[in-house]
Amino acid sequence: MSEEFQDHQIRDVIKINYKYTMGGQSKFFIELKNNKRLLGTKCTKCGKTWMPPRINCSDCYEPADWVELQQTGTIEVSTIVWYTTSAFIKAIPYGVGYIKLDGAETALLQGIFSENLVPSKIKKGKRVKVVFNKRRYGKMTDFFFVPDEEYDKWIAKPEYEGGL
Amino acid sequence: MRKVAIVGIGITPFKARYLDKTYFELAYDATKLALGDANKNGAEINHNNLESTVYGIYNELFERQFMPDIFINSYIGMNNKPGTRIASGGATGGYTVRMAYAEVASGLSDLCLCLGVEKCNDCYDEQTGVTTPEVLNAIAYSCDMTYEYPMGVMAASSYVSMVNAHYEEFGNPTEEQMAYVSVKNHGNAMLNPKAQSPMKVSVENVLNSRIICFPFKLLDCCLYSEASAALILASDDKVKELGVENPIWITGVGAANTDCFIGNREDMGRLYSNIYAAKAAYKMAGLDYNNIKKQIDLAELHDAFSGQEVISYEELGFVPFGEGGPWIEKTFEKSGEGPWLEGELPCCPSGGLIGCGHAVGATGIMSTGEAALQLRGEAGKHQVTIEKGRAISHSIGGPGAAYAAIIVMANEEGLKKP
Ligand SMILES: [Zn+2]
Repeated sequence: MSEEFQDHQIRDVIKINYKYTMGGQSKFFIELKNNKRLLGTKCTKCGKTWMPPRINCSDCYEPADWVELQQTGTIEVSTIVWYTTSAFIKAIPYGVGYIKLDGAETALLQGIFSENLVPSKIKKGKRVKVVFNKRRYGKMTDFFFVPDEEYDKWIAKPEYEGGL
Repeated sequence: MRKVAIVGIGITPFKARYLDKTYFELAYDATKLALGDANKNGAEINHNNLESTVYGIYNELFERQFMPDIFINSYIGMNNKPGTRIASGGATGGYTVRMAYAEVASGLSDLCLCLGVEKCNDCYDEQTGVTTPEVLNAIAYSCDMTYEYPMGVMAASSYVSMVNAHYEEFGNPTEEQMAYVSVKNHGNAMLNPKAQSPMKVSVENVLNSRIICFPFKLLDCCLYSEASAALILASDDKVKELGVENPIWITGVGAANTDCFIGNREDMGRLYSNIYAAKAAYKMAGLDYNNIKKQIDLAELHDAFSGQEVISYEELGFVPFGEGGPWIEKTFEKSGEGPWLEGELPCCPSGGLIGCGHAVGATGIMSTGEAALQLRGEAGKHQVTIEKGRAISHSIGGPGAAYAAIIVMANEEGLKKP
């Protein structure tokens, strides 16, 4: 009986198109695209600096102002992915981690690229720098992080597109 | 609030794939099994006696159907009665038990069906010709779509962040300590006829299995499953009216959602949801977070990943923070060849998710049902010794394991003991 079901399997796909805005967070993406700046937000009451940014402080229910953050930071935790979703399987292996940008109090998930991708290269405490793609779309994939010591090599590349 | 008992338990086998059943047919099977179990225990009831349903179904993309609960509602003959769906990631099952408990405790229903189901492996990745990458993609849509999905985040890379941060802080769990969990849970599953992955594996097998996401290897990860699990919950009065022989009382339900952005957490090496859910559940049950290990007979844990089971020992109060790794090492080595059904506190006698598989919406209901069967003394070959008459089940899930739910149960004896 199972064979009969095996033979009668139907292909299908669910697909929805979108055209969306990021609402109050849009400035982050616009600045990223146009000016290669990374903006966080700072709560007007408690002073907490949020990255990813939120224009309202979730801790004290007060507005938060935009502030520019450094393009340097520290890896808080990371991993190297060797098996993944259908959308990213062509990119394996890739490094990802939570990085605290200098000046931020929360950490951002981002790709960490290295010419020698091994756990020790991207471990906690490693200093990293932001590299922007030359072609930017106002999306998170417009930039990535590289270890400090590899930064000069990466920006010297003719075209560094995010691998993710 | 009124007292609430589990009076019927139905669990289908957990399988990689049911070609011969749809998700609503699986849900029907579990419901029928739970009704049969209730009848075996003295309650003469059928589906017409059930007053409401709480559905646990995680992911519409798996079922290829949005609002799948209403189609199950039709198929299991529950038309014209209230039905509520819960979707809380990997913690869907535990959260569903909590809400079904509330349905009865509040007085809204006297007899409520708590029904979880998931059928994930209809997802199919054409490029690799297998299901898993597409299943993982369907799950990845539960991550933040703007900041995190584009980074290639997936379940394992999300959980591994907490485990790696814990390792950085405490020096454990080591890869060997994580492997012990895999050996234990695959091994225990050999005694559970409903398990998907019963296997005798060695520590070396685990360490040598293919890398998924540093340092998780294939055998550190649960497999996704297709299955359904159902519980019938009854009020105190209904238990008496029906003459149920061995009710298992739900004495504590605790849940918490922590920040879904791991980077926002004060300490990334903690599953805060576990801590708050456990404290709330134990407090409700009159148990002590700092002494819980001595107050229960077993824990059915949500071991989606081996390393995450280890850090859960700490968050659920079994051992102090930082001592999870050494604890599994001690208990593992004491049990030698296994099965691992004895010791200070048996964890995952059923085999857990690593042994049984993970049929997301059904999982926490299966583990609650498993713990209840243990308290009845009806778990079968993987029965543990019941002395205190109390057990817990644990569910966790969502982006960065943001959701958690803990259920505390007791048999009649366990209700009386201090
Ligand atoms: Zn604030």
